[in-house]
Amino acid sequence: MSAIGLKFGFAKPWRVKPRHVLPGFRLSLGFTLFYLTGIVLIPLLALLIRPIELGPLGFWAAISTPRVLASLRLSFGMAAAAAVIDSLFGIVIAWVLTRYRFPLKGLLDAVIDLPFALPTAVAGIALSSLYAPNGWIGSLLVGYGIRIAYTPWGVLTAMIFISLPFTVRTVQPVLAELGLDVEEAAATLGATRLQTIARVVLPMLLPAILTGAAMAFARAAGEYGSIIFLAGNIPAVSEIAPLLIVTKLEQFDYAGASAIGVVMLAASFVMLLALNGLQSWAAKRR
Amino acid sequence: MSKRFLNPTEDPLWLRLLLGAVAVGFIAVLLLLPLALVFKEAFANGVSAFWTAIVEPDALAAVKLSLIAAAIAVPFNTVFGIAAAWAVAKYDFPGKTVLVTLIDLPFSVSPVVAGLIYVLVFGMQGWFGPWLIDHDIHILFAVPGIVLATIFVTFPFVARELIPLMVDQGRDEEEAAATLGATGLQTFLRVTLPNIKWGLLYGILLCNARALGEFGAVSVVSGHIRGVTNTMPLHVQLLYDNYDYAGAFAVAALLAMLALLTLVLKSLLEWRYADELAASHRH
Amino acid sequence: MSLTVDSVTKKFARFPALNGASFVAPQGSFVSLLGPSGSGKTTLLRILGGLEFADSGSVRFADLNWLDMPARTRNAGFVFQQYALFKHMTVADNIAFGLRVRPRGRRPSKADIARRVKELLALVQLPGLDDRYPSQLSGGQRQRVALARALAIEPRMLLLDEPFGALDAKVRKELRADLRRIHDHAGVTTVFVTHDQEEAFAVADLVAVMKDGRIEQYGTPADVRKNPRTPFVSEFLSA
Repeated sequence: MSAIGLKFGFAKPWRVKPRHVLPGFRLSLGFTLFYLTGIVLIPLLALLIRPIELGPLGFWAAISTPRVLASLRLSFGMAAAAAVIDSLFGIVIAWVLTRYRFPLKGLLDAVIDLPFALPTAVAGIALSSLYAPNGWIGSLLVGYGIRIAYTPWGVLTAMIFISLPFTVRTVQPVLAELGLDVEEAAATLGATRLQTIARVVLPMLLPAILTGAAMAFARAAGEYGSIIFLAGNIPAVSEIAPLLIVTKLEQFDYAGASAIGVVMLAASFVMLLALNGLQSWAAKRR
Repeated sequence: MSKRFLNPTEDPLWLRLLLGAVAVGFIAVLLLLPLALVFKEAFANGVSAFWTAIVEPDALAAVKLSLIAAAIAVPFNTVFGIAAAWAVAKYDFPGKTVLVTLIDLPFSVSPVVAGLIYVLVFGMQGWFGPWLIDHDIHILFAVPGIVLATIFVTFPFVARELIPLMVDQGRDEEEAAATLGATGLQTFLRVTLPNIKWGLLYGILLCNARALGEFGAVSVVSGHIRGVTNTMPLHVQLLYDNYDYAGAFAVAALLAMLALLTLVLKSLLEWRYADELAASHRH
Repeated sequence: MSLTVDSVTKKFARFPALNGASFVAPQGSFVSLLGPSGSGKTTLLRILGGLEFADSGSVRFADLNWLDMPARTRNAGFVFQQYALFKHMTVADNIAFGLRVRPRGRRPSKADIARRVKELLALVQLPGLDDRYPSQLSGGQRQRVALARALAIEPRMLLLDEPFGALDAKVRKELRADLRRIHDHAGVTTVFVTHDQEEAFAVADLVAVMKDGRIEQYGTPADVRKNPRTPFVSEFLSA
């Protein structure tokens, strides 16, 4: 163990000036950093420092009103639920697409990416018409006393729609590369099919499942376009946090909007860190 | 003669039918039904009604603005994506992981937050707001703001496609070209570009689809001035909120057709050039 | 308790993989299936392991109608060419897997499983590597773990599919000797697939030379080498 540490600790001589065989290092990295800073980092900095004018107490006051708290709870709570539901269906869909052969499979596979390609406003009005009490699905459900449009369940439905591709597309390639031989090995060792799936297949898919769930959660929590048409946007009931940012901006409450924005951004960072952690965990097991 | 058992890696028929039905049913209800509804509503009054709604001046202005935003955002992010992937894949430098993470950041930021940050920079109460007003420069509630918001939300598409692909390919071929006397530009055009062209196209395709369809970020910075700062998705919202369902679904159907075209091209690329796309798409 | 393979045939979608393969292996013997790629040797081995199904023919082993049993209940240890180790489990967990998935009544206690894992690691000469993950092992070490895992279930039969194919020559020789030692120690009937004749002759009691889904010649290494029965065998052996 210590020999490895020594090998990497002192073997490399110090270099004052990095030299590269290929040209363009300074140009490509320079442009990358310049563009990243201008488009992403400086504007994000504007968001991060905006709530400073409120002071810590003012910031807390801005995000702890019942309406703001309710919207954050709704956005993150429903996003978590959507991530779990999409992960479950995502595993099943990825399994069916990689393991079974049936007609029109290619078509089904391509359709998975529809939520990526379809503008969210289009998804929003379509889902809204579909789940409205007089819509194709809404009219069926209304008989059972279930209302989706203009309720928090509308938020969940739109989130499930928007996030499905993430869970399918992270599990699918891993499943495809998972050799059949590990399953065969488990069978020759006496495992039942159920034991093989529970102890071998699912644990091997776990990093991908968690990665997909984290991406689905991040996307759903920030989603705006498809939800606002379907949710009814009743304050403290079906009003999501991004919509409240828009509302506050329309009232020129920049600081209040920024306070919510900072909370959303912090959540994005946490998810990004979690995703990076998952990635290195998955890489270690490869 | 032996009895026929299930292969140990094969699921029993009932399970296959069950899982297949769950998968197909879920996709049909969740994804296909909304798509079908868009087209049904758009063509409910015939093709001519659809066409009238599309060629209406405000709708055409929205189409034009969406195309302008995409026409600026996509090339910018393409150049950035190539530069970033070249830097990350061909050289070693400290902080590389942080850089790659930051490039992905716009993906995990809510579109509304993406719009908000530009309001905070260019808005009336923003950093440059007063200066911009003094010099009569319009960024917010005008085309430049829409373009900037579009650039932000489509920022990582090309880069995240090219980075894994070029990291995978390493630098052997470029180094070989260098030993044979090629200049940097020659190396890029004759060696690197042919190797990444399908991945690049794939990234551009997705970038373009998102640029045309972006709603939340653009909505915050647009100001919703009908016929002036409304993109196609914003126009859909405007018509829908004004109870012009036929018009809303007509424009929505146009966007849905673009989405379907994107999916067709994407599947074509994945199917035809699977080996030349990043590993994550080889399924 | 000998293994009797009788006229096994198997057709894949387009080509016949096995065309009536037959041989008899006495209890505790070590048989090598030798042949070029496409000769059907791996298909035959997978049929013995329950991973593939014969179209016709029969296999009897220890008075059991072997083909009527699913892979799970055959209790045949199978060693794969690419190891097929469970990447998310430690070496010890890999080896213990076959014991832990047994129904409760036949499952050894935790202490017994731990003891068995230790014994097997010693047998394959990897003591102390219990807590490593497969990704932290060399190719040769991985194949030793795969062997230990297959032996953990106290198999009635040991099946090896080109187990050393992915390893370099020096490691192959070491492992080959160890495999023979372990076979003699366990006394279990072993079928070993290889395309390397030196390996086949060095390790086996009996060699079956295969071609086009049939067994061209079957006998002791000395016999096959001295009296090749068909032009194919003599050509294959001189190559």
